[in-house]
Amino acid sequence: MAELATDEILAARERYNQSITIAINKKRSLWFPYLVLALLLVLPALQLIGNFNYVIHLTLFTACYVVMATGWNILGGFTGYISLGHNVFFAIGGYFAGMIFARLDISTIIMAPLAGLVAAIIGYCIGLVTLRVRGPSFIISSLALVMIFRIVFENWEFIGGAAGLALPVNDLPVQWAKLPYYYAFIVMAAIAVWVSYKIKHSKFGLGLRAISKDEIKAESSGINTRLYKVLAFAVSAFFVGMAGAVWGEYLTYIRPNIFLIILISVNMVLMCVLGGKGTIAGPVIGAILIIAFNELFVATLGASEINVLATGLIMMLTLIFFPLGIVGTLAKHGKLPQFLNWD
Amino acid sequence: MILLIQTLILGIALGGVYALMGSGLSLIFGVMRIVNLAHPSLIMIGAYVAYWPFRLSNIEPMFMLPVAAIILACIGAILYRFVFEREARSAKYSEMTVLLTFALAMVVEGMLGTAFTNTQRITSPNYATEAFFLADIFIPKGQLYASIISIIIISALALFLKYSRLGYAIRATTENREAAELLGVNVNRVGLISFAIGLALAGAAGALVSFIFSFFPSKHWEWIVILMSLVVLGGMGSILGTVIGAFLLSAVAALVGTYFGATWSTLTFFIALFVVLLVRPQGLFGEKPELA
Repeated sequence: MAELATDEILAARERYNQSITIAINKKRSLWFPYLVLALLLVLPALQLIGNFNYVIHLTLFTACYVVMATGWNILGGFTGYISLGHNVFFAIGGYFAGMIFARLDISTIIMAPLAGLVAAIIGYCIGLVTLRVRGPSFIISSLALVMIFRIVFENWEFIGGAAGLALPVNDLPVQWAKLPYYYAFIVMAAIAVWVSYKIKHSKFGLGLRAISKDEIKAESSGINTRLYKVLAFAVSAFFVGMAGAVWGEYLTYIRPNIFLIILISVNMVLMCVLGGKGTIAGPVIGAILIIAFNELFVATLGASEINVLATGLIMMLTLIFFPLGIVGTLAKHGKLPQFLNWD
Repeated sequence: MILLIQTLILGIALGGVYALMGSGLSLIFGVMRIVNLAHPSLIMIGAYVAYWPFRLSNIEPMFMLPVAAIILACIGAILYRFVFEREARSAKYSEMTVLLTFALAMVVEGMLGTAFTNTQRITSPNYATEAFFLADIFIPKGQLYASIISIIIISALALFLKYSRLGYAIRATTENREAAELLGVNVNRVGLISFAIGLALAGAAGALVSFIFSFFPSKHWEWIVILMSLVVLGGMGSILGTVIGAFLLSAVAALVGTYFGATWSTLTFFIALFVVLLVRPQGLFGEKPELA
């Protein structure tokens, strides 16, 4: 009798959970990201009717930042460990693939996953050390990491030192020259968003979010917080490293002051903060908005210093008035439009 | 041997300036639990306040020290009122303020860069290039004066904290914010005042820095890690610790610079910061792990 009751309760709970899932799924529109992806995949067809290289470049640039911001979000958004030093992995990916491209002539697009893996392994090792501290300590240690890498990269002659390395230019006609990189970034962005969705909906993601709420409670409820945090660090380093690999070949040269400038890591943080940390759509929206802002400032005002000023101002205003970001704030008030609800 | 002594003297002569640069950061963290990443960019403002009068009408940079301090104190009071006070209620206060001050640093950098461009600047009063000679050893006058003035300012600050009523309040708030509030300390006012004092120290440091290091707006990223390393080594919030950390690290950096090459000298600070944070986050003199 008791046996039967338990089964009934379990079945009832199952039905209840399913009804919740259906209710949540109704509020979500997972078709929207696929639609965007499909549109982006056919976008280069514009090249057949005219010269849209600028559009292609901007989309590619945005996609590059979508990969990086989504990667950052896996650590900074889910786990709550804010790293200001993620451009270190951007540089590691860029240099690893770039060196192989320069020496062995293997395209960085093929090497990107391997470069990501190298970044992830180095990230795992760094994470083992730096993730022992929390909060401001972690943020400061990540800043110190950038400085250390900057000095090392600038003085390491084998990888070109401060002057960097020039990479060969591909021999496609101008009209199509950007396309390999374009598709590489779009595919990487799609993979990054998909993986971050899968992580968020897994036991691993649940553990990460538990860590961001209260690490001690998470630990005492049986989560191996140390392993979880370090794995999150490695996964986020993987995506940032992959983006760096292809970015180096796209620019045709690699140099420490392209990869290891503070503005790049700030952009990653800002995109997530502006869009909404810990959400799937947040980094994507943030990337689109920030790149649009950047283009606007550079195109209308010209100076990169004003760009720094504006980036800082946007970040301050967002942090003061919408600390949850666009997606987070809208969701809190129940006004999130359905097509932005990817969680 | 002479090289060793010479190096140590050069390092120690710089230590005083680093101590002044770091003490404001330490004070602000102690009272407010704000890791002020914008501190070096505000020091940069102080340096420009000293630079322009010198450049345009040859006014001694040291005379501009109180002016820079007052200007920065006003900026501090305004920033506290409009930015940091309202963050006190936020749940993730310390992380929030780190990000905010980081954004503030970018805003200041952008403003300075837009106004004055990213050219390297330095004030060059006569004493900046002269030196005292003791047998074979020379002591650069500029660094020596700057260090002496720094030590005087820090001593004055220490006396103020130790003996004045407001100093009691500040120390009480540093030790235990809730208890101080219960005993009738106006914590908010203490926060405002110590933030202003902290930035006044930044302004004073800026005026001294103007004739020691060449500066340009985006240089503050390098300084922040240097300053954080001193402050963290000495124990966040402890002024004495900051001073000791400053002398220690700048002597070590000078040694590294002499024996391994100047490039690696700044690396000393970065690695020291990294190691201290990971091995002993509370610093040499901190009692509990403040930052963890």
